[in-house]
Amino acid sequence: MSSFDSELDAKGLNCPLPILRAKKAIAALASGQTLKIEATDPGSVKDFEAFCKQTGNELVSSAEEGGNFIFFIKKS
Amino acid sequence: MIALRLGLTVIVATASNKRLSAPERRSSLINAAKALFADKGFHGVSIDEIVTAVGVSPAILYRHFKSKDELYAAVLQDFSCQRESYVDTIINSDADFEAVLRGITRVFIDSIVCQPDLLKIELYSILEGHEAHREFFLNRWKTFTDYIEYSLNELQSKGRLPKIDSKASALMYQGMLREVLLLKCLQQSEHLKDYSLQELLDKMISQFIKSLELN
Repeated sequence: MSSFDSELDAKGLNCPLPILRAKKAIAALASGQTLKIEATDPGSVKDFEAFCKQTGNELVSSAEEGGNFIFFIKKS
Repeated sequence: MIALRLGLTVIVATASNKRLSAPERRSSLINAAKALFADKGFHGVSIDEIVTAVGVSPAILYRHFKSKDELYAAVLQDFSCQRESYVDTIINSDADFEAVLRGITRVFIDSIVCQPDLLKIELYSILEGHEAHREFFLNRWKTFTDYIEYSLNELQSKGRLPKIDSKASALMYQGMLREVLLLKCLQQSEHLKDYSLQELLDKMISQFIKSLELN
């Protein structure tokens, strides 16, 4: 997965900040557009799963690369 | 209170003393040790007390933990790694600084009210200089320091806040929150008996927001 429309750097921040900032960033996207998020908080994995489940946005992928957690979320 | 809690532990443990799997037995030892360590600290608890509370022999305890230190480390690990989920709070709020701060504070205090032992064990870890106190900060308090620091910096950059030290403000909030929890959950302060925990926190947050001079 490499295509995205907007990017959010949430590295170094504890939840709920990554979720809060992602919520704002997604609000600015059009339906079908994708947001890439990079975070370092291990809790963000479960949080983004719950966030997408509850908001109806699609968690396209969730991966870890060298201590960074990378999420791609497509706006519903 | 200790006797009642220990009594309960013994009854429960006796009823289900056999047929526990290794993880279940380990968990029962940790749970019994949590209450004892929280009440008396590491040095105030003996292995005998722990095995009596669980209803097993010392040999069974040593099968799971090489020493009291190792059991204590497991208790600290269990408490310090607990994290709250703030996802619902964020989804259901309008992202206003004060509303989110009130929401995440409510989630946080609910977790302490349910298990005041967590607060006690954290204090012990700080006093003893145990490495776990860093985990308590990273998994629990950093939520507040990050949120307040980041948000205040953002509000200042938008001109909605006079120039202030956001790190100091975050620390001030953490200190106030911790003190209220200590007074209401551990010390049952007479001085503040007319306020419920929630009322006190609501007033404290209002005072904090007022002091920021947001516009």
